[in-house]
Amino acid sequence: MLLVLSEEHKEHLGFLSEVDSAVVGEFGRIAVEFLKKGSNPKIFEGAARKLNVPAESVQHGVEGLMYLLTESAKLMVSEGDFQDSVLVLGFSEELNQLLLQLYLENRKEIRQILGKLAPSLPHYHNLEWRLDVQVSSRALRQQLKPSVSLKLVLEDGESLRHLIQELERALAELKSSHCRRVLRNIK
Amino acid sequence: MELSESVMKGLQNVADPNVFDLKSFTIFTELVFDSLVSPQCESVLGHPELKHIDQTTLKHCHAAATTFILEGVKQNADKSTISSCLEDARFQIERVDLLYTSLQKNKTNLEYLLSSIDTCPPHITDAAWRLEYCIKNSHLHKVNQPSYLISLNTERGGASSEINFSCTMEQLQDLVGKMKDAAKSLERASQS
Repeated sequence: MLLVLSEEHKEHLGFLSEVDSAVVGEFGRIAVEFLKKGSNPKIFEGAARKLNVPAESVQHGVEGLMYLLTESAKLMVSEGDFQDSVLVLGFSEELNQLLLQLYLENRKEIRQILGKLAPSLPHYHNLEWRLDVQVSSRALRQQLKPSVSLKLVLEDGESLRHLIQELERALAELKSSHCRRVLRNIK
Repeated sequence: MELSESVMKGLQNVADPNVFDLKSFTIFTELVFDSLVSPQCESVLGHPELKHIDQTTLKHCHAAATTFILEGVKQNADKSTISSCLEDARFQIERVDLLYTSLQKNKTNLEYLLSSIDTCPPHITDAAWRLEYCIKNSHLHKVNQPSYLISLNTERGGASSEINFSCTMEQLQDLVGKMKDAAKSLERASQS
């Protein structure tokens, strides 16, 4: 299945042919990082200054790459179809190959990330069980009431992501200046 | 068995032939047990056979009798404990025997009633499942994967609710395997 790129998208990606292939490789790496961990607009400014181009061009280029990758991964575009879809951009053979490699290497992981966005119920993670016998209670002494307690551990995308975010925040705290001062004084 | 002054006074009234003649006592005893065991039963107050008794006294007697019975069941009191308590409240032997017989008759139901006064996690009462095959979603095409949707019905104190979750075939096998282990362990414990 061929990808149909909008005019705006083609324009944004057009910036990639104006820089050399090492830079495109770097943009590709940044695009994949952003897909995995979220975007960081500060990177655009740094890159723009080094290349002496407006930050917006860098942003459009990277975002254009991100969209190209996610759309191709979503539709599970074949190698041949990807090459044909990208032909319309009129890039050099070297650049086309670079983009193809970027797609093929990261397709599986991008599909996994996209999969988590889909609506879903909490997912089964584990079941723990325990056999209990109640021997007495406030209302009735001398009982023998067996029961099985089940602990159903479910995982949903949201709570897991949130958990990871919170723990990362906790780790970042250690690096804050206040914390470092305290640790220095304890030592 | 320790009983409060109010309960003892109530029991003394129940024992008193001037308040309850034998016939009224028999009906009263039956009504008291019914009120504990049956959810819908005739009320003690305003009962045609007990109308001749002062209603305030009747209410007090009912409270005392039910308290006494529940305490007895709660502590699994034996015949001599029950008898000595009732004799302290001036019960005649005949009335002690009548009450004790009704107590034995209703003991299992009363024990069940008391054991269900409990704080416990919700009980799983039912399970429903659905096997589906995902073709695609708005974020990803060509998913082509089967999955189960399980819905566990839980109940706690009359209120029911549901736990819904999805799982793959392997995870469902894991879940069922663990539940079978729990069941086997329960069976073994009940046999030993």
